[in-house]
Amino acid sequence: MASSSASLKRREQPMSREGDQLIVTPLGAGNEVGRSCVYMSFRGKTILFDCGINPAYSGMAALPYFDEIDPSTIDVLLITHFHLDHAASLPYFLEKTTFKGRVFMTHATKAIYKLLLTDYVKVSKVSVEDMLFDEHDINKSMDKIEVIDFHQTVEVNGIKFWCYTAGHVLGAAMFMVDIAGVRILYTGDYSREEDRHLRAAELPQFSPDICIIESTSGVQLHQSRHIREKRFTDVIHSTVAQGGRVLIPAFALGRAQELLLILDEYWANHPDLHNIPIYYASPLAKKCMAVYQTYILSMNDRIRNQFANSNPFVFKHISALNSIDDFRDVGPCVVMASPGGLQSGFSRQLFDIWCSDKRNACIIPGYMVEGTLAKTIINEPKEVTLMNGLTAPLNMQVHYISFSAHADYAQTSTFLKELMPPNIILVHGEANEMMRLKQKLFTEFPDGNTRIMNPKNCESVELYFNSEKMAKTIGRLAEKTPDVGDSVSGILVKKGFTYQIMAPDDLHVFSQLSTATVTQRITIPFSGAFGVITHRLGKIFESVDSSTDEETGLPALKVHERVTVKQESEKHISLQWSSDPISDMVSDSIVALVLNISREVPKIIVEEEVAVKSEEENGKKVEKVIYALLVSLFGDVKLGENGKLVISVDGNVAHLDKETGKVEGEHEGLKERVRVAFHRIQSAVKPIPLSAE
Amino acid sequence: MGTSVQVSPLCGVYNENPLSYLVSIDGFNFLLDCGWNDLFDPSLLEPLSRVASTIDAVLLSHPDTLHLGALPYAMKQLGLSAPVYATEPVHRLGLLTMYDQYLSRKQVSDFDLFTLDDIDSAFQNVIRLTFSQNYHLSGKGEGIVIAPHVAGHMLGGSIWKITKDGEEVVYAVDYNHRKERHLNGTVLQSFVRPAVLITDAYNALYTNQTQSHHRDTEFLDTISKHLEVGGNVLLPVDTAGRVLELLLILEQHWSQRAFSFPIYFLTYVSSSTIDYVKSFLEWMSDSISKSFETSRDNAFLLRHVTLLINKTDLDNAPPGPKVVLASMASLEAGFARDIFVEWANDPRNLVLFTETGQFGTLARMLQSAPPPKFVKVTMSKRVPLAGEELIAYEEEQNRLKREEALRASLVKEEETKASHGPDENSSEPMVVDTKTTHDVVGSHGPAYKDILIDGFVPPSSSAAPMFPFYDNTADWDEYGEVINPDDYVIKDEDMDRGAMHAGGDVDGRLDEATASLMLDTRPSKVISNELIVTVSCSLVKMDYEGRSDGRSIKSTIAHVSPLKLVLVHATAEATEHLKQHSLNSICPHVYAPKIEETVDVTSDLCAYKVQLSEKLMSNVIFKKLGDSEVAWVDSEVGKTGSEMRCLQPMGSAAAPHKPVLVGDLKMQDFKQFLSSKGVQVEFAGGGALRCGEYVTLRKVGPTGQKGGASGPQQILIEGPLCEDYYKIRDYLYSQFYLL
Repeated sequence: MASSSASLKRREQPMSREGDQLIVTPLGAGNEVGRSCVYMSFRGKTILFDCGINPAYSGMAALPYFDEIDPSTIDVLLITHFHLDHAASLPYFLEKTTFKGRVFMTHATKAIYKLLLTDYVKVSKVSVEDMLFDEHDINKSMDKIEVIDFHQTVEVNGIKFWCYTAGHVLGAAMFMVDIAGVRILYTGDYSREEDRHLRAAELPQFSPDICIIESTSGVQLHQSRHIREKRFTDVIHSTVAQGGRVLIPAFALGRAQELLLILDEYWANHPDLHNIPIYYASPLAKKCMAVYQTYILSMNDRIRNQFANSNPFVFKHISALNSIDDFRDVGPCVVMASPGGLQSGFSRQLFDIWCSDKRNACIIPGYMVEGTLAKTIINEPKEVTLMNGLTAPLNMQVHYISFSAHADYAQTSTFLKELMPPNIILVHGEANEMMRLKQKLFTEFPDGNTRIMNPKNCESVELYFNSEKMAKTIGRLAEKTPDVGDSVSGILVKKGFTYQIMAPDDLHVFSQLSTATVTQRITIPFSGAFGVITHRLGKIFESVDSSTDEETGLPALKVHERVTVKQESEKHISLQWSSDPISDMVSDSIVALVLNISREVPKIIVEEEVAVKSEEENGKKVEKVIYALLVSLFGDVKLGENGKLVISVDGNVAHLDKETGKVEGEHEGLKERVRVAFHRIQSAVKPIPLSAE
Repeated sequence: MGTSVQVSPLCGVYNENPLSYLVSIDGFNFLLDCGWNDLFDPSLLEPLSRVASTIDAVLLSHPDTLHLGALPYAMKQLGLSAPVYATEPVHRLGLLTMYDQYLSRKQVSDFDLFTLDDIDSAFQNVIRLTFSQNYHLSGKGEGIVIAPHVAGHMLGGSIWKITKDGEEVVYAVDYNHRKERHLNGTVLQSFVRPAVLITDAYNALYTNQTQSHHRDTEFLDTISKHLEVGGNVLLPVDTAGRVLELLLILEQHWSQRAFSFPIYFLTYVSSSTIDYVKSFLEWMSDSISKSFETSRDNAFLLRHVTLLINKTDLDNAPPGPKVVLASMASLEAGFARDIFVEWANDPRNLVLFTETGQFGTLARMLQSAPPPKFVKVTMSKRVPLAGEELIAYEEEQNRLKREEALRASLVKEEETKASHGPDENSSEPMVVDTKTTHDVVGSHGPAYKDILIDGFVPPSSSAAPMFPFYDNTADWDEYGEVINPDDYVIKDEDMDRGAMHAGGDVDGRLDEATASLMLDTRPSKVISNELIVTVSCSLVKMDYEGRSDGRSIKSTIAHVSPLKLVLVHATAEATEHLKQHSLNSICPHVYAPKIEETVDVTSDLCAYKVQLSEKLMSNVIFKKLGDSEVAWVDSEVGKTGSEMRCLQPMGSAAAPHKPVLVGDLKMQDFKQFLSSKGVQVEFAGGGALRCGEYVTLRKVGPTGQKGGASGPQQILIEGPLCEDYYKIRDYLYSQFYLL
């Protein structure tokens, strides 16, 4: 509520040493690509963005540095998209750690997540002890994952978050988190370019205070989409026209679907190619096709319009292959196969067969991880090592046409310029690329108001936000707007990060809470004359009003306007009052008095005499107590001139006037603390005034 | 001060007429729903027509005629031009509903209130939102946030929350708190204490809702009983709303029982409806989206239901017992009416109504008890013109055409006269397409050849006709011919061109038959004849309306407990009943305005904002109570640099305040708590709790529907002076926070 209108505009620079600390720590993807996992904590709320693995490693080594944090403290875990480096350690994190928060991802991401990880578990050939999780864990994790739709606002423990389209793959999201008015945008992998089926990443409506942004492409610039597509189709067309075969090693999901759409469309427009088969050799992609055919709403208008006529993901010229055994290598063809890095599997098998024929072509359509064969052949070596250990000449043409849906430098810088976040944190990029990007961004934002950081893994970025706490005073308490110096007293209700101040009587109106009054009535056996009680009470309490009960005609007393004492019968009297600490105390003393009357009379008189001791002695006692308490708090307390107390802490001195409670001194902080302490001590030591209305 | 809120109903109060309400928030006019009924009576829209042009935004809640039927008409005829907000399914299914309405109407009458193009243009500019999306309005509505939330009545159906300056106005009609097969229950209960709640009292008097699985068994038994004796079953349904639930029930039952009786879903748009619904899984119940996520089973891949889009297909279907779901539910038009007339006189057949028919329709007549033995219906049919009529029509058309041509030629002559003596370079009226820029591949020769071969039409306006002549103006410099780099740029559109032709029909897929009907320009006319239909078939009505019943409405409103309540859309009795009930036990401000009566529901709430200083907050110790934390503050207003007031700690000792006990005691919970502490405890008569031997505890004073809504609780504890008394009092205190 507090952040509705004023915060639409970009806030003042909130940089200062004071305020609440916000910590951002990459547990993975800090100066590296892979195992995305960013930890963030602010005002007691903790969020984890993404939960990936590093596909280059196996077992525990692939995980982000989870041991840096306490998983049980995390409130919310947000997954941006289904890629392994963003989602694959989720089953481990959910099932094997103490994490007990809530997990969110989009519908499409959840549907593909399961298929993808089940496949990952099957194909990763690691020993049992290196297995991070099994299929059972994945199925169990499905029950814990909650879904969020684009733009839907969800609130968990006062953390508000919603997501925007990220454009990277189907279901990819950028998360905007709002904790007590401080906004953090985590882009995940994103692309600002609309392609065949995905929408471009949206520009958030609000400017975030912190933008955690990917930097995969660094300072590179992408070719325009149309040139890329033309190069792609030209290479394929000329290769198959010359009787060659085209191998496209690609990861089964994401870019592959885009390439298939391009091919299907190109084939549809070129009838001369109709006799040349296109295969996609991935059972996983085949399974996921149903997801692509369903979540049309997450895609762009182009696909939605096509859907009005026929589902564009029902391909007309492309068929699926289950394994290499089904593949008959008889002539020109186009095969898209996974894995994208040519490490092993179907794509590698085909590569080994086709690499020495110079008519063939291999198109590498996306980002290549260091150390994979795909990265090696980009440099066109003369020879390559086959899977069986032999070397073979590399004669086939190798083309690198990047279809990677990561924002390039132009997109990143315009995106950031539109948003103008005061803090930019770079993640998900190879260290050198990231450094170059950082340098170049510095030149783009030369005014010095923008901080750009690229923390390494486990290196924390600490930021401070002066979060103003705003409260709304409502109801009876707000009937008159107070001026400076007026006092405001009431119940402060905090829900999430919103505060309201209200009168106790309004509590049930404006909140789900309610107040209660407890009326107590006890009966005490007493057989003496009621007049005795009246007399005794009159001696102890200042105000005793006597009256008669209207119904029974029996006498009744009202002590201090609080407790009613009534004669119920010959044998009993009753006490009735409404609970609060003072009334409870008064009633207790009445009870004690009544009980003592019936036992022995004189004792009270003695006590009475004791009670009427000199004021002076009392005052001394009070002073002693105050002194002792101050010593216990501040240590060095001396009695100074004019009865003032001199308190010195770490060389700072404050003078306290015991009579007025005034404090003088140089150091503001000490002054304030002494004042508060003395005020509290006084209210504890001095008798409670009875007229508390 | 509070945000000003005014509500004035335009249609649908104190009766079951379609819904349409004007809500103005700080001068920004919202039209909540824009409904019409199956009779399409323009007089219902009169109040709307008076205010249509002043409306700033339209919010739609459900994809049926009652909630959005008048949108195309209002956009075209009444000057409504505001942006429309709806969820994606409401937009899409609403569009299909309107198509179906139009096509059904067109078949039986000369329907001219709106056309398919009007429907398209009305729906073209709908801004689509997702559930719980906080959409910030801009411009005139700056500061207003609107958000649709799940209503649970139809796919995409929403209750709307409009927020301004922290004050909430909630519009919730036709919600359903129960979870169904394809829908989640409403989230209305999660709203607490909105400033204004606008809701319907439609079901306030209706409380007899049987358990859903009993109802399902009864429903399926009734159907199968009639099928087994060789009868046909007709379910008159809406186009794309509640029918989805029925389809799922039947589909599920059929696959469990392996029935072989065919099920037909017959509307003009049935196949597109299901195609779209298949891609709306995100909007459905958790179980449906879960089953897709884990096993990729799309619940709307219907295996037992055949989708039909015209009646001939049904007539050609193999004979034998069958179930047909056909629109419209009101039996006023559409396939359902035709089928009813055909099947009504066979006692083996069954017409099963799943919702109350709209007032004054055939369906409503048949639902009355006892059902009528005979009904008089007017059957109309569109037939192509033939014989003399056709000749007359053609003559008329020809005459019109001639007139048109005459007028056109007159205009042309005028123009020709005006543009006398044209510029030499102007090749505008030239018919031949001449490319003035050089094609990259094409050489100069063939480019001219086209023109020569195709012939030459001298521009009629040119003074001296001649062949077009182009000077080859190629420039040469020392490197050769000067080239323009632009000619060699690969055109961006190249790749897209192939696909774009496919995406021509932007506004949704029309079924082939529909398309043919639309494009069918053969002259035709409507003929009507009245006939008496003997109703010998069984008529059964079951409640599949998917609305909360009276009891749940009351408890939901009590739970939401708005500061002000506005009741709409119900019969006079139901409205009055709910009004009295709410006045007694929910809130003191209940309004039930009449048509065009404006009620001011501006909250009389006082509020101002203050800043809480760090110093103050560091002295506050919060106590946690459920979702929220509470504390007592004593503070004084201090100065800050800005205009904002800032609360500082008190300079002097605060005056003591009356202690407050905060908490909500539930006797049942307290009983358990006491017994867990080893105290003998039992309920005595009159809601008193007997603790131990002597002490009794009771709530006194007026107790509200729900704790907390109606004021502070009064608790009385009494007993003789004994240890137990103080022990139990301590336990009681432990349930509260003392501030």
